[in-house]
Amino acid sequence: MNASLRKRLVAIATWIATFLLMMIICLPGLWVVLTGFRPNREVLSKPAIWIPEQFNLNNFAKIFGFGAEQVAIPVPAYFTNSLVIALTSTAIALIIGMSGGYAFARFRFPFKNSIFLGLMLSRTVPGIALSLPVFMIWSRLGLIDTKMGMIIVYTALNIPFTIWLIDGFFRQVPKEMSEAAQVDGCTRWQAFWRVEFPLAKSGIASAGIFAFLTSWNEYALASQLTRSTDSKTLPVGLMDFTAQFTIDWAGMSAMAVIIIIPALILTFLVQKHLIAGLTFGGVKG
Amino acid sequence: MTKTTLKGLALGLTLPVLLAGTALSQDYDYGSFPDTTLRVKLIGGAQYEPLYAEIPKWEEMTGAKVEVLSRKNHFELDREIKQDIAAGTLDWCVGSNHTSFAPQYGNIYIDLNGVVDEAVLAKFDALALENSTVNGRLVQLPRHSDVSNLYYKKSLYEDQANKDAFKAEYGYDLAPPETFDQFKDQAMFFADAPTFYGTQYVGKDEAITGRFYEMLVANGGALFDEDWNPTFNSEAGVRTVNWFKDLYDANAVPAGVLNYLWDDTGLGFASGTVALNLDWAGWAAFFNDPANSKVAGDVGIVRAPKGVGGKRAGWAGSHTFSITETCDNTDAAVSFITFLTDHDRQMIEARKGLLPTRTQVWKDVKAEFEAEGNDFQAEVVDTYSLSMSEDAFTPPLIEPWIEVSNEIWPRLQAAILGEKTPQEALDEAAAEARLIMEDAGYIN
Amino acid sequence: MARTPRSSYKTRLALTPYLLLAPAFLVLIFVIALPLVFSLYTSFTGYRLVRPDSLWNWVGLRNYERIFTDWDFWVAFGRTILFLAIALNLEFIFGLGIALLINRITWGQRTLRTIMMFPMMFSPILVGYQFKFIFNDNIGVLNNALQSLGISDAATPWLVDRNLAMFSIIFAEVWMSTSVFAILLLAGLFAMPRDPIEAAKVDGCSPLQVFRHITLPFLMPFAFIAMTIRSLDVARAYDIVDVMTGGGPAGRTELLWTLIARVGYDNSRMGQANAMAYVSIILSVAFTYYFFTKLVAARRYMGGAA
Repeated sequence: MNASLRKRLVAIATWIATFLLMMIICLPGLWVVLTGFRPNREVLSKPAIWIPEQFNLNNFAKIFGFGAEQVAIPVPAYFTNSLVIALTSTAIALIIGMSGGYAFARFRFPFKNSIFLGLMLSRTVPGIALSLPVFMIWSRLGLIDTKMGMIIVYTALNIPFTIWLIDGFFRQVPKEMSEAAQVDGCTRWQAFWRVEFPLAKSGIASAGIFAFLTSWNEYALASQLTRSTDSKTLPVGLMDFTAQFTIDWAGMSAMAVIIIIPALILTFLVQKHLIAGLTFGGVKG
Repeated sequence: MTKTTLKGLALGLTLPVLLAGTALSQDYDYGSFPDTTLRVKLIGGAQYEPLYAEIPKWEEMTGAKVEVLSRKNHFELDREIKQDIAAGTLDWCVGSNHTSFAPQYGNIYIDLNGVVDEAVLAKFDALALENSTVNGRLVQLPRHSDVSNLYYKKSLYEDQANKDAFKAEYGYDLAPPETFDQFKDQAMFFADAPTFYGTQYVGKDEAITGRFYEMLVANGGALFDEDWNPTFNSEAGVRTVNWFKDLYDANAVPAGVLNYLWDDTGLGFASGTVALNLDWAGWAAFFNDPANSKVAGDVGIVRAPKGVGGKRAGWAGSHTFSITETCDNTDAAVSFITFLTDHDRQMIEARKGLLPTRTQVWKDVKAEFEAEGNDFQAEVVDTYSLSMSEDAFTPPLIEPWIEVSNEIWPRLQAAILGEKTPQEALDEAAAEARLIMEDAGYIN
Repeated sequence: MARTPRSSYKTRLALTPYLLLAPAFLVLIFVIALPLVFSLYTSFTGYRLVRPDSLWNWVGLRNYERIFTDWDFWVAFGRTILFLAIALNLEFIFGLGIALLINRITWGQRTLRTIMMFPMMFSPILVGYQFKFIFNDNIGVLNNALQSLGISDAATPWLVDRNLAMFSIIFAEVWMSTSVFAILLLAGLFAMPRDPIEAAKVDGCSPLQVFRHITLPFLMPFAFIAMTIRSLDVARAYDIVDVMTGGGPAGRTELLWTLIARVGYDNSRMGQANAMAYVSIILSVAFTYYFFTKLVAARRYMGGAA
């Protein structure tokens, strides 16, 4: 009785400690979120104003074009672009990544390690070395300022990562299980879908969320390859708040909140699937 | 086109009789371009947007459509245009431009002389047009200009205790500075780091190069001699660097100043913790607006100080519009940029505190401010119009200007931080600048 | 008759992995390899962005010669290595700590994990602005806090001081990316079999010994995956550094990426910038190769799969 009570207290204490630690870690980010609801004058003041005197939705109203002061950023267009580009490129990267990851996890073939390494190294190219040539090729193909152009680029950015992660998770699924299924009369394809895919689901989910976040937040290439509301994404839209002499930091923070919330919700939803998939560790043991 | 010119000329003659401006925009014939879609790239940012809200009026008048391809800040627009040149995708007509950037772009923009109505050009400030000219070609039509003047916190100068203490320490009466030496004295006098600073300056990128450059000229120096040999590692150059360094060493400026750009200096002055601030006209209304600024009602303005050469600092530039050589409907493009820079359009921007490029607008906007009883803004207009007409000068309008600037500013920083002596830093920068000028074919 | 299907089955089996990999290759060749060939070519030319015809101006190795004698470049090169080494190690250590802590929690973990991933929702460009304003010496929130709490009454120039400026950009980078390590290591912890740990405990191993000899070796492949992925991806730090300091003051925070961007775009010297980019690729390749061989070794140690 006493021992179990103590155990529970320790558990609660651990939880609180962890929660506080997480909050401290998140502090710089929370500051941005709070700034979104406050006027510039209060946020960037000296001496500091710690207890907000004004806490309202003015910055958001400004962005969406209501109220006295308007910045009128085409948020709905940016938002749609970001969503379409990030979701599509993530889906494609996952399909390609699953097929590639499966090849590495389940097959032996010549130069396997070199090919794997080569794939990974394709990601080492700094964006700055890539941006101009990609721009020139894209402009010949008419892909500048199109969602398709961005989808292709982000798919390429995410492929090495997804292959790698999914490969790792497929490796953890015992080969014997799929072999057993094949002995039972399944084709390799059926064995993949019925046995290996469900078990590697958590790996695929985490690869997916990584790919999504990379595409959702990428700035350097998007700033070069997008131009108008046809394809401009939310992070590029952040720069609408900077002008030659000024930065509207409160406005930018409000926009940041708009960017962060969907990503946060999606991450939270995917966590559930992660948890569901996480039991497979036990399966292996 | 001929018709337009004649009409414009006739208008130019009758103008003095008419109430300037309103009549102009109604009477100028912007033409009719029913099936035209004009593709444009514009500089974006809060202070530039009110003008773009006028674009539908032009569309209505001419029947043309305007498609805004991109709206970015100037540095990003610069990158985009360079990419367009590289990829050969100059498939648009009108682009925002800037006098400091224009020389880089070679001949992608048309010469507006003989294309834009002469009577229209005659309405512009002569100096602004001259500064928009590269190699004899008017590659851009100035929209509004930038030059800096000195804002100061008035109450500090009215305080009797300050006056007495200053006189005792420096031996002359405390009044807003007339020279950079006085500027330095007073900044040091008012500074009380870390709660209050005498002044602040932009500390990186082309911004500090520009400040260095205007003070160098004010101190009697020059960046280059007539044959484009770098000469800024002169005595005047060292004196200029020392001005920055002394303020930095004395903690008269915030310690982070070397990472500051325009937003930092502007917000710093608005926060009420800075005594003197050499800054652009666009900030005036912001500084005097109680919603944004703690110094509202306490802001004074004087012309930028003089150097030891007796000349005032006057680093200036203009935001402009250009038309590409590849444009498929030059007439529509000309009509469009003429509209965006006409009297009424400039009035819209001038009311927001931007410096107009048409001489008449200066007078009209001042009259408007006075009628409203806004004496501060009227004084701002006076001060800036004086410095635009008497003090303003541009950086050398040469293609490698930004590149030369990129060699100068990191070394200025090194000198200010004491990593190099001012002489060493400038010698190094001059040697690098010489290489660039040789590469670019200016020095044989 | 009997032979043909079997050998074709065999060929098919041999070809399958390549077929599975084909889409990946196709995309990567198109987006990465082709552009790289183009930049490689331009690195041997005096290509200037604003003069398209200079693309045909072959200068041989001159760009590379210039780089090899350019002291500023090598300082930036060294600083980039330092930046990578410090940032990656800190991210690993913090990430491991967070993962181990959250692994102990049984209730409300989904929320905690989402909070843990919070910094990953921030675009690098936003992180740059965020820390630029946090570290501002005059109106920045950090100095304001230090002054309000009475810890310091100085206006510390976080983004200017020689050491603090590097600290600040590393801090921003670590803040943004520690989550990546944490989540991958947490995934590793969840995938870990319980039996060896239970067995070790029965055998009387201390928790530290269990961690040292069972947990850590099992986690290492995940750690190396994270390391490799981060060292591939770390050029994202360009956005942060560019906004926070732009490589300054006086080049104190100049990294290869800020240098390359300035030379290539602001100075329009694309040929020279691409030569620099190629030298920097060698650096990334070295980092990646190092972690990759570690990863392979760790997998072998685990008695890992095929």
